[in-house]
Amino acid sequence: MSQLSFQAVRKTFGPTVALEALDLDVGEGQLVSLLGPSGCGKTTALRIAAGFEFATSGKVVVASKDISNVPAHKRNMGMVFQSYSLFPNLTVAQNVDFGLRTRKQDKARRTKTVADMLDLVGLTAQTSRYPHQLSGGQQQRVALARALAVNPQVLLLDEPLSALDAKVRTNLRDQIRRIQTELGITTMFVTHDQEEALAISDKVAVMSNGRVEQYATPLEIYRTPSTAFVARFVGSMNQLPGMVRLDGGVDVAGTTLPTPTELPAGQGVVVLVRPEAVSVAEESSAGFRGTVASLTFQGADTVVGVRLDVLDALVLARSESTKVGQLSIGDRVGVQVDTSHAVVEAAATEPAA
Amino acid sequence: MDAVIDPAPTRRPSTWRSRIGPTLVLIVCGLFFVLPMITMARYSLQNIITPLLRWEDVFKKWSLSGIKAAVSDPGFWPALKLSLELAVATVALTLLLLLPTLLLVHIKVPKARPLIEFTTLLPFMIPPIALVAGVAAFFRPNAKWFLNSNFSLVPFYAILALPFTFRAIDAGIRAIDVRTLIDASRSLGAGWGRTLFRVLMPNLKMAIVSSSFLTFTVVMGEFTIAQTLLKRTYPQFMYEFYSNRGQGATALALFTFLATTAVLGLMFFFVRRRDRRAGTTTTVF
Ligand SMILES: Nc1ncnc2c1ncn2[C@@H]1O[C@H](COP(=O)(O)OP(=O)(O)OP(=O)(O)O)[C@@H](O)[C@H]1O
Ligand SMILES: [Mg+2]
Repeated sequence: MSQLSFQAVRKTFGPTVALEALDLDVGEGQLVSLLGPSGCGKTTALRIAAGFEFATSGKVVVASKDISNVPAHKRNMGMVFQSYSLFPNLTVAQNVDFGLRTRKQDKARRTKTVADMLDLVGLTAQTSRYPHQLSGGQQQRVALARALAVNPQVLLLDEPLSALDAKVRTNLRDQIRRIQTELGITTMFVTHDQEEALAISDKVAVMSNGRVEQYATPLEIYRTPSTAFVARFVGSMNQLPGMVRLDGGVDVAGTTLPTPTELPAGQGVVVLVRPEAVSVAEESSAGFRGTVASLTFQGADTVVGVRLDVLDALVLARSESTKVGQLSIGDRVGVQVDTSHAVVEAAATEPAA
Repeated sequence: MDAVIDPAPTRRPSTWRSRIGPTLVLIVCGLFFVLPMITMARYSLQNIITPLLRWEDVFKKWSLSGIKAAVSDPGFWPALKLSLELAVATVALTLLLLLPTLLLVHIKVPKARPLIEFTTLLPFMIPPIALVAGVAAFFRPNAKWFLNSNFSLVPFYAILALPFTFRAIDAGIRAIDVRTLIDASRSLGAGWGRTLFRVLMPNLKMAIVSSSFLTFTVVMGEFTIAQTLLKRTYPQFMYEFYSNRGQGATALALFTFLATTAVLGLMFFFVRRRDRRAGTTTTVF
């Protein structure tokens, strides 16, 4: 059963359409990420869920109740913001206590909840500090504790990690996921970082221009992107220009790739394949030929950049480091492409930059 | 003796030549402010008239008789009381109008801010006498009771203080992330009232205090409008008292200045100390 659902939610700001017709169900206890480029409407969707904005049309339903017209302070949502949002005049403990006081809980119960929450985010030593005495990561952990303290029906996080540096980011990201699973709280997480979204989500909604392009598990999003936009936005992609053949495959510079497509024969297309679907082989093997142009060692994997003879295109191949360890720049190699998860897109009239 | 002094390593060794310029400026400025105060004090608190003052008498015959005379005048306490009441009322009116307006402008119509900023400068362009004459001309035939009330001064004073109060509150609002604080508070279940009193006001404390003080100063010093509308305010009392008891009035002026400075200093000291603890950055003025 879904805990939070958007039903044909549309939002316009004057002439700007921020959300076109958002349909999204977040299952109970799930963590769903809204992923998309800047300006695609992620924050707007979250703010509508929180009650800070109201939909132009459509419904927001939480636990089978239509809350479309309920004001923010009467909804039971926990929210963590992108910018630091702790009350500067209150200590860490008082910040976490704020929502409990608003709910007029008795003192003993409040004290216990505050202690529990700060323990959960690992900040028991900082209870009487003021926000300005904390690091950015600590502040966001307090914000998380504060949001969770009121035992919200849904937890909403709007790019809570974007102001933090890389190391703290991954750390806190995993901590958020751990806490979320532990409490089993339904969560909506907004981010424009695809790695972040794939790492912690049960499901990811990839958005563009106010629409959901694909809503699926991280694995499905990565392996079988439903649109070229998703394919490009999530992970990295090789782009091979070609043309649809009469028998249905795609001809890329004389080599036939067996990719099914509904596009008509003769149509110019771009085939999108992930670096891990590309492999480097002996020069004599079937497929493309080219010269090694770059080698990027990434620990277990190495990304080999091969300049193809035929297209003057650089193709990236991700392989286990042990397999390609003896390659060096300038070596002649063969390139094989596994197209089982490739996405075929009609070529734009203008060649893509 | 020398061995005890810990030389500050970061300070560049400065010759007396490099210091003479700034020191001179400081001395001149200091004299500019302090000399009038000293002469005021001498004139009002030392019972020797200036032409008869000799160097050997500099420390003789000092007394508080001047100020005592001023304070015991039957007009003194009512005038002071009225001015204090007016000041409190003006502060209340200003905060009541300005705080919600500026918050709304800030979160809902930020484009209107320049217009509002310009409007608040009008008191600098319109002379108080023109303002009061215009308003009186309208109210005298239409609502005489308004002009008769002592509190008719309050709106005038609120307007006169606007250039200062607007800037103080505006700076305070811009120093905090109002939008996010409001959203955070509301998502935690706080309604508008609680958000205003528990979240916004405490974080705008410094701005509120400084704007209140500026209002206070304007009210305690305004003369033209009070005189035109025949209200017996504190400045008006000082003016009248001065014409027959120059010494007492000067003593009064001196004490008023010292008292406001002391209160101002104390208040800022306390607010700043609490603020520093809470780490809120506040811009004053
Ligand atoms: N209050 C507003 N008034 C007018 N336009 C707005 C408002 N809020 C958002 N928009 C517009 O709606 C669109 C979606 O904005 P939104 O903030 O939801 O994007 P986002 O996906 O969160 O982007 P980012 O990653 O940059 O935060 C944008 O074109 C934005 O300019
Ligand atoms: Mg956003």
